[in-house]
Amino acid sequence: MKTTEAENIEPRELFMRGKEWQNRNNFVKAVLLDVFLVFYALILLQRVIYYKLILDLREVPFGWPQLGAVFIVSVVLGASWAFTRTSLATRLFKLHRDNNITKWNVEIFAWLLFDLTFIAGWVVTKISIVDLFSAEGIHGANRIFSAMFHPNMGIFDDALSAIIETIYLALIATLLSIPPTFLVSFFTARNLMRENKITFAIYYILRIVFNFVRSIEPLIWAIIFSVWVGIGPYAGMIALLVHSVASNAKLYSEAIEGIEEGPVEAMVATGANRIQVVWYAVVPQIVLPFLSFTIYRWDINVRMATVIGLVGGGGIGTMLMQYQGLARWNEVGLIVLMIAFVVWVMDYISARVREAIY
Amino acid sequence: MLLKLQNLHKVYKSGTHALKGVSFEVREGEFLVVIGLSGSGKSTLLRCINRLLEPTSGTIEFMGQDITHVKGEELRHVHQQIAMVFQNFNLVKRRSVLTNVITGRLASLSTVDSVLERFSPEVYEEAFQALRTVGIEEKAKERADALSGGQQQRVAIARSLMQYFEKINNELGTTIICSLHFLSLVRRYATRVIALRQGGIIYQGDPKDINKEWFKTIYGEEAEEVEIR
Repeated sequence: MKTTEAENIEPRELFMRGKEWQNRNNFVKAVLLDVFLVFYALILLQRVIYYKLILDLREVPFGWPQLGAVFIVSVVLGASWAFTRTSLATRLFKLHRDNNITKWNVEIFAWLLFDLTFIAGWVVTKISIVDLFSAEGIHGANRIFSAMFHPNMGIFDDALSAIIETIYLALIATLLSIPPTFLVSFFTARNLMRENKITFAIYYILRIVFNFVRSIEPLIWAIIFSVWVGIGPYAGMIALLVHSVASNAKLYSEAIEGIEEGPVEAMVATGANRIQVVWYAVVPQIVLPFLSFTIYRWDINVRMATVIGLVGGGGIGTMLMQYQGLARWNEVGLIVLMIAFVVWVMDYISARVREAIY
Repeated sequence: MLLKLQNLHKVYKSGTHALKGVSFEVREGEFLVVIGLSGSGKSTLLRCINRLLEPTSGTIEFMGQDITHVKGEELRHVHQQIAMVFQNFNLVKRRSVLTNVITGRLASLSTVDSVLERFSPEVYEEAFQALRTVGIEEKAKERADALSGGQQQRVAIARSLMQYFEKINNELGTTIICSLHFLSLVRRYATRVIALRQGGIIYQGDPKDINKEWFKTIYGEEAEEVEIR
């Protein structure tokens, strides 16, 4: 069938034209990518290989003019390299000349980039074999491990109530997250919101807000809320709640986006209103994925609750931090064992329940 | 005149020009069959008529009202008056057959009642009546996806009957517009036939007048007619 805008053009020709335009577009991207790769390689060569490995400087000097000079050099090098059509980026976009020069260029440069990155990573991480095997270090590790293998059962009742606090904290955070997530997920589902501009704007804003909230780790939310409502399980619960809503809203709305559209169309065709359409055509298709995600979130929240306890979120995490601060490794050993047991049980239960649902 | 289409065009966002100036009229009580190759615009035409799609240009008049570009409440009213049976059923798989049938009546129920699934005894009575009509009353409590393909299509028909019950049809007779592929069925049931090819009407008239030549024009030179009885 022909298209309206180009009534007389053959579909094949139209396709080839699109291809040409795409190639031009891709070449611009290839030039930019080459410039970036060359810049990256030069910076690593200068700062890591030259300053750190060869000169062995403690403080690497930093200056904008110098950085600018490297950038200009890489613009010239990268762009001219791309225009020869033998560079790595032109190869990636399949715009390269198919000859041996390209092959060697690509192979050598790719290896160079990988090696430089690996060396830089090694240097930045301050990897030291000596520290790992020093006698003093091993002695300290020995002390901790042996203490951990002899857990102090004297604090078992305290640890038990703390870990129960953690489990309930995670449970309440998960339960409270369900209604808001359920409601909001319909507004963050593209297929339900794309019809008119206002709803699409709502969709877009909500997506941005949730992406932002989700990109802040629960650990940081716990710090914020422990200042806001005071250190303890309440702060931890709110932190988990906020993160659960933001994370599950994404999963829920993806489930909504993945539904079969047929029943929706059928409901619309009967003259049902929006709410009826969602209730009868969308909700039945998403109940099980929602349930599954929620149970999995509880499992995640139990682990998270332990971690945010370290920064004042209450429960077993707070207790662990206290004993670790006092260097009482026998107590730490007991707490670690209990956490491991609970996480294992939660993992098992949530996996089984999710299996049973599907 | 129940339905009147004038110079209807539909261009999809992808640029496909699916309907190119279709005009015809449908009287009350007619059984109009639309035939044509796949991609000839049959489904687009049907979806435009009950306004699941909005035509790009042209007009659709339904019971004297211009429905070409109606929106919101008015559009829902149009949907309510035209029942649609889909090629691939479009049932809500996880719900019971009965619930699926009742969804045909959603437009006449309040939002709160339908969300709480509080239906009056009359609605249930009508739903069972519809299921009796299509002959699968005993399947009412089963999940829709537990049924065979043919049975599922019966459920879809029962759902559309729920729309039919209190409608104009009682006074005017049931009007059907249907897309078919088997010409023997067309000859047996249709009162009138429309053939589409590449988005335009190439034949309109009595199904008995479709001879070999017309058949070749509609379906292409290589096509052969298959009889089913």
